[in-house]
Amino acid sequence: MREYAFFLGCIAPNRYPGAESASYKTAEKLGIKLLDLEGASCCPAPGAFGSIDLNVWYAMAARNLVLAEQMKKDIALICNGCYKSIWEVNHKLKHHKELREGVNEVLKGIDMEFKGTIDVWHLAELFYDPAIVGVQKIRDSVKVPLTGTRIAVHYGCHLMKPRKERHFGTTEHPTWMEEMVAALGAEPVEYRNKMLCCGAGGGVRGYDLVHSLDITNEKMINLMEAKVDALTEVCPFCQLQFDRGQIEIQEKFGVSYNLPVLHYCELLGLAQGMTPQELALDLHGISCEPFLKKVL
Amino acid sequence: MARTKGYPEALEKKLADTRLYEDERHPEFTKTVEKISMTIPHMCYQCGTCTASCPSAPRSSYRIRKFVRRGLLGLEDEALTDPDLWLCTTCYSCTDRCPRDIAPTDVIMAMRNLAFKRDIIPVNFLKTVQAIYTTGHGVPNNDVNRAARKKLGLPADPPTTHGFPKYVKGIQYILDYFELKKNADRIVKEREG
Ligand code: SF4
Ligand code: SF4
Repeated sequence: MREYAFFLGCIAPNRYPGAESASYKTAEKLGIKLLDLEGASCCPAPGAFGSIDLNVWYAMAARNLVLAEQMKKDIALICNGCYKSIWEVNHKLKHHKELREGVNEVLKGIDMEFKGTIDVWHLAELFYDPAIVGVQKIRDSVKVPLTGTRIAVHYGCHLMKPRKERHFGTTEHPTWMEEMVAALGAEPVEYRNKMLCCGAGGGVRGYDLVHSLDITNEKMINLMEAKVDALTEVCPFCQLQFDRGQIEIQEKFGVSYNLPVLHYCELLGLAQGMTPQELALDLHGISCEPFLKKVL
Repeated sequence: MARTKGYPEALEKKLADTRLYEDERHPEFTKTVEKISMTIPHMCYQCGTCTASCPSAPRSSYRIRKFVRRGLLGLEDEALTDPDLWLCTTCYSCTDRCPRDIAPTDVIMAMRNLAFKRDIIPVNFLKTVQAIYTTGHGVPNNDVNRAARKKLGLPADPPTTHGFPKYVKGIQYILDYFELKKNADRIVKEREG
């Protein structure tokens, strides 16, 4: 069993606890144990904090990183926004002496020091990596295949972009998550402009909700054209934007789509036999019932 | 989608005037932007690939290419006072496609940092700071969610600063070190009374 410090972030534990619960359980079935990272905070939100003062963003993310360094564990997390903060600040501080010294000057005041001794991973990349889990093991863990459903993937932005700083290869047309969807027995579905952003990031959701929803709406139109039963993603903030966002789109633009939106861990949980209750799917803004009827 | 936000009149006038005035250029602005962003807007040849990749462009007057140009020319006031500065979702599509290896997204982030130094910042950004100062979370827990967590067999509060509030002190120390909470409170109060 591989062990990782589980960096929770905000939206999964505080809005979609089913995604958190599913992460522990699905990972465990695949040989990954997620340990509590006691005292972790918001990553902090890269859009808000990075926009105000990058130095605060570095220092706050470094505090979270040091907690995991003290545990001597790599971090695993389930949110693209958290990945941007935690992975990227770890990377920057490891490779940029001046930044590291600046951050450590701040952390000194709370008896902490960033040493750069751990790595950061998104749980989805650990699931996909054949050296850790791999698609075959995911397939083998499925008890309730999601046969007969058409599922689209939203990759989000901050896991794979900027491409040159990351290690995921193409950001124009990736297909690795579609492989992970197919492993659950569902049919992965392509749709127009798949890599378009959800619209929520960079503080835009809070700054100009209608503008941000208009981007989401464009994605929804493209998804509906592809006649999908559900959308899956690996970012609770994208999930919020698509799930609660559909309700806001209904209020502001008068169109309703009712497309269920599930985090990949929730989807994997279902396929591994977790019940909708164990996934707290009732907390979703858009009912997952039509999708569940097809699979259960 | 029609724009919902009107520009301040003075800015509108200024933007309508396409001439470049030498006295509006601040070469040190270009340098500061490059230092903070760790990218190279002065290499931009204005091809427009960034704007063409931008999800915010088709639904607003926001043009990322224009901001890169302002960075290059040192047009500090024009860049920092334009409300479109806050319409970048930081999706990094422009960065992945720029043929000159510039990271326009990071140019925007640097400009936002500089705008904040002049108190130019939408309040929603500051409210996130206030939430984190109190709880450690930008999106804090609530009672409905606590009940749901318990039903799932999870602790009512996650093992973060919520479950271990003693860690909030460290966060407050960092935010106070940069005087961020103080400034956030002051600006929010000025805007909202
Ligand atoms: S894509 Fe790059 S080179 Fe082209 S206009 Fe944008 S920043 Fe300049
Ligand atoms: S990162 Fe910002 S400027 Fe670049 S394409 Fe995305 S929204 Fe547009």
